[in-house]
Amino acid sequence: MKPGLALSFGYDDGSLRALADIKGEPEILLRDIYSLPDIDLNEFSVLFVSMHGDQRFLAARAGQIEEYLVRGGIVVANGHHAYPYLPRMAGFHTIDNYRLSDITVLRLAEHPIWHGIDPHDLTFRRGVSGFYGRVWHDAPPDALVVHALGRPNLPLDFIYPVGRGHVLFHGGNDLWTFGGEDKQLAPRIMQWVTEGRNVQ
Amino acid sequence: MSLAILDGGTFYHHAAIHGRRYRELFDKTIYAPELTTDALAGVTFLIVPDRINPNVLRANRDVLIRFAKAGHTLVVFGENRADTWLPGVTWTARPTNFWWWLDKNVRPPNRLLAPDHELFQAVPFESTVWHFHGVLTPPAGARALIDVPADPEGRDSGGALLYEDRVTLPGRLLVSTLDPFYHHGSNFMPAATKLLDGFLPWARRKTVPQTDPGR
Repeated sequence: MKPGLALSFGYDDGSLRALADIKGEPEILLRDIYSLPDIDLNEFSVLFVSMHGDQRFLAARAGQIEEYLVRGGIVVANGHHAYPYLPRMAGFHTIDNYRLSDITVLRLAEHPIWHGIDPHDLTFRRGVSGFYGRVWHDAPPDALVVHALGRPNLPLDFIYPVGRGHVLFHGGNDLWTFGGEDKQLAPRIMQWVTEGRNVQ
Repeated sequence: MSLAILDGGTFYHHAAIHGRRYRELFDKTIYAPELTTDALAGVTFLIVPDRINPNVLRANRDVLIRFAKAGHTLVVFGENRADTWLPGVTWTARPTNFWWWLDKNVRPPNRLLAPDHELFQAVPFESTVWHFHGVLTPPAGARALIDVPADPEGRDSGGALLYEDRVTLPGRLLVSTLDPFYHHGSNFMPAATKLLDGFLPWARRKTVPQTDPGR
């Protein structure tokens, strides 16, 4: 199985390091984001884009990312989509002066990555809301919307096809920082990637 | 005389720098990977926001130092590993306590050391208080403006969260561990927005000396 690739951003980030330290197959390699032009993405099973990634740079590499997807790659992208680096994505929508009801995580579809994780535990971290998501994005019409923000028509987590590949988009803080100690999302994402490859 | 800011290209840099709230304050926005000495022509006050890729800053180390050597003001926020490219900076990581404010009985450890400093006429000290990602040891001759005492768990002996250094280079360096651009641009922490509400107009005023003889 091809390794996964996570794009790093120059300073140490504990959660990104933890992602790369996940035990099991395939392993996840860290490379600085600006080395992307020198990387053959087809050598990787999945590309992780952190919320701390330079999207202006990624937008200049949009062709490389789309080509990777079309050939069957998987991109797990986090943050607010501020520059057009992902195919079929539009911009994001902020919610001014949001209240708890505006940023409550709503589950619209079951998905193995989030199986058994109560949306309440995504809405709150130690009683504080907002870590998981504070803005919403327009999802492509054929996307599987797993979570919405506050109202069912405001997508937060969704998966959509590009050619033979898929984008898993999370419009908030990096997915691999969530899920609690016994339900970490990162290994589940890797399992999903692995199973996706098996299906193919 | 102009105010410039580096743009790291993340969504939160985009929101903070190009968003309506502050964009009119900057004379020049420089995409960090495109930083050159020529790009800084006419600039007297440069802001390096938090969370610019340190590999880019290290690659442009000479440009940034030359800028400060010319007698200008360089402000550097946190999570930039300034200790790896800016002279005089010593930084010690401290595991972040994001939760200090949940216990109403706990007072934050942050201490204002220089209430007379002009910056605090623009930025209320309260707007600088949130979690922090490490502490700075100011070089000899520099002035700590905000600090915290030693880590209660003994991992460091305390240090500055913001200091001013007018001695290491001919210019003025303001160095901080705080990361307001990330938090404001993520639409997630009101204190960060309040800090920028005070700091950025102050920076703007510093580039118009005839209306502010206080420097």
